[in-house]
Amino acid sequence: MPKVIFRLFSTFVVFVGVFILIQQYLKPDSFGKYGHYRANAINDAKLIPLQYKGEKECITCHQDIYDLKYSDLHDAVSCESCHIPKILATDACKTNPPKVEGSNEFCGQCHAINAGRLKKGPPQLDFKDHYEKQNCIDCHNSHAPWELKK
Amino acid sequence: MGTEKIKENRRKFFKSSVALLGGTLLYSLLKPFELIAQNKEGAVKEDKANDTLWGMGVDIETCIGCGKCAEACKVENNVPKEPFYFRTWVEQYTVKNNGKVKIESPNGGIGGLKQSVPDKDIFKSFMVPKLCNHCTNAPCVQACPVGATFISPDGVVLVDATYCIGCSYCIQACPYGARFMNPVTKVADKCTFCYHRITKGLKPACVEVCPTNARIFGNLRDRKSNLVKFLQKKQTEVLKPHLNTHPKVFYNGLSSEVK
Ligand code: HEC
Ligand code: HEC
Ligand code: HEC
Repeated sequence: MPKVIFRLFSTFVVFVGVFILIQQYLKPDSFGKYGHYRANAINDAKLIPLQYKGEKECITCHQDIYDLKYSDLHDAVSCESCHIPKILATDACKTNPPKVEGSNEFCGQCHAINAGRLKKGPPQLDFKDHYEKQNCIDCHNSHAPWELKK
Repeated sequence: MGTEKIKENRRKFFKSSVALLGGTLLYSLLKPFELIAQNKEGAVKEDKANDTLWGMGVDIETCIGCGKCAEACKVENNVPKEPFYFRTWVEQYTVKNNGKVKIESPNGGIGGLKQSVPDKDIFKSFMVPKLCNHCTNAPCVQACPVGATFISPDGVVLVDATYCIGCSYCIQACPYGARFMNPVTKVADKCTFCYHRITKGLKPACVEVCPTNARIFGNLRDRKSNLVKFLQKKQTEVLKPHLNTHPKVFYNGLSSEVK
């Protein structure tokens, strides 16, 4: 074998060797198990804590409100749609309850008139025609809207 | 010192360096075999995952734009509260009588969308919830230079936050604008279909809170799932089909104005 070829060849081998070596050290553990990514990242994505725990969690204390809600037209609206959990509120619901104010603004999120909403679903109201000066919950029960208070 | 001596030394040097290299090469050649041995277990797991392929249906005809989904998403996934970071948001499209289209989404629709165009000028108006489309041919995955964004075996496009280098290429690559740079973690962030929820058998937060069932979540490979029913019952479309991204988010009642 001519010297030049030998030198070239050995340099090549050195480069490939060093490359493979460095790659082995730098590659994270589970990389390439399923594809060109770190397979453990799938597990990482599962580890985030839950904030929305579902109505089941609310029922443990508020069975009465749940029953009331299911007897009326707000049955499709989940507790947590209106009562947005504060961070981990359902763990400490008693000390840090996810309170909401029943304001016209609040009910209007779903019931205010909007040209994009004129379809099936919750009825839309022009609040100027619907007891403008009063708060919705003065008349409507927020959990059972047809249970009128007056 | 004669030339003989130098030659001898050189020979020794070469011998020992070749031995060293050979050793390391042999070691690194063995390591991939280790991976192959592991892959066998992995392959079994993958088969199991193969009977789930998550997808979502969005019904524009029932969406009222209350913004509860966008709000729930922020709370559930700890997304910064500033009004320009969204994993999902709702847009209101208003087609005016003069043919112009107005698209608005103040604060992503959180707090309920309000119509800003007077009634007499409106030809039609509708709400379009947007989120990551979890493309089967995801451009963001192709753009990522380090393999930090990927499609999981059950079809969800995820970001590996510990591996992302924050180069923003994926954000530019996404044709749906569904990604953003998280200012807290400094890495790319996006909808995960609430991966931590769906793998526990729960629905994503946005689906959970929707008061009108405008979002339908389910397994595309399960013939009995609500999502498959929805796809069979309604005429659905995907966003930007000409891009060949094959999204897994299907819209019912999609108007041609939607971009
Ligand atoms: C449509 C929105 C809405 C939904 C859905 C809803 N709430 Fe409420 N809730 C309110 C509002 C508004 C108030 C505060 C005004 C009031 O007292 O009526 C309130 C008040 C409360 C209170 C404190 C006041 C009281 O009556 O003791 C509790 C407890 C409560 N809700 C529990 C629940 C539970 C449990 C559910 C699910 C079964 C639920 N809510 C679903 C809107 C809602
Ligand atoms: C998260 C959205 C949401 C919020 C917030 C909300 N509602 Fe509703 N509301 C609905 C839905 C959905 C229905 C059911 C419509 C149906 O099934 O016909 C409904 C139904 C009603 C109805 C019965 C309408 C009918 O069809 O006869 C009344 C009254 C009502 N809501 C009042 C209120 C009041 C008062 C508040 C404020 C405390 C409120 N809603 C807040 C979503 C909402
Ligand atoms: C003074 C008491 C009062 C107040 C305040 C009030 N309502 Fe009503 N609401 C009624 C009565 C009575 C009806 C049934 C008769 C009617 O449609 O006017 C009704 C009906 C409704 C309906 C059903 C309309 C339909 O077409 O089926 C909705 C939705 C509603 N209210 C929502 C609201 C919201 C949201 C607010 C707050 C902005 C509110 N109401 C404030 C008394 C009240």
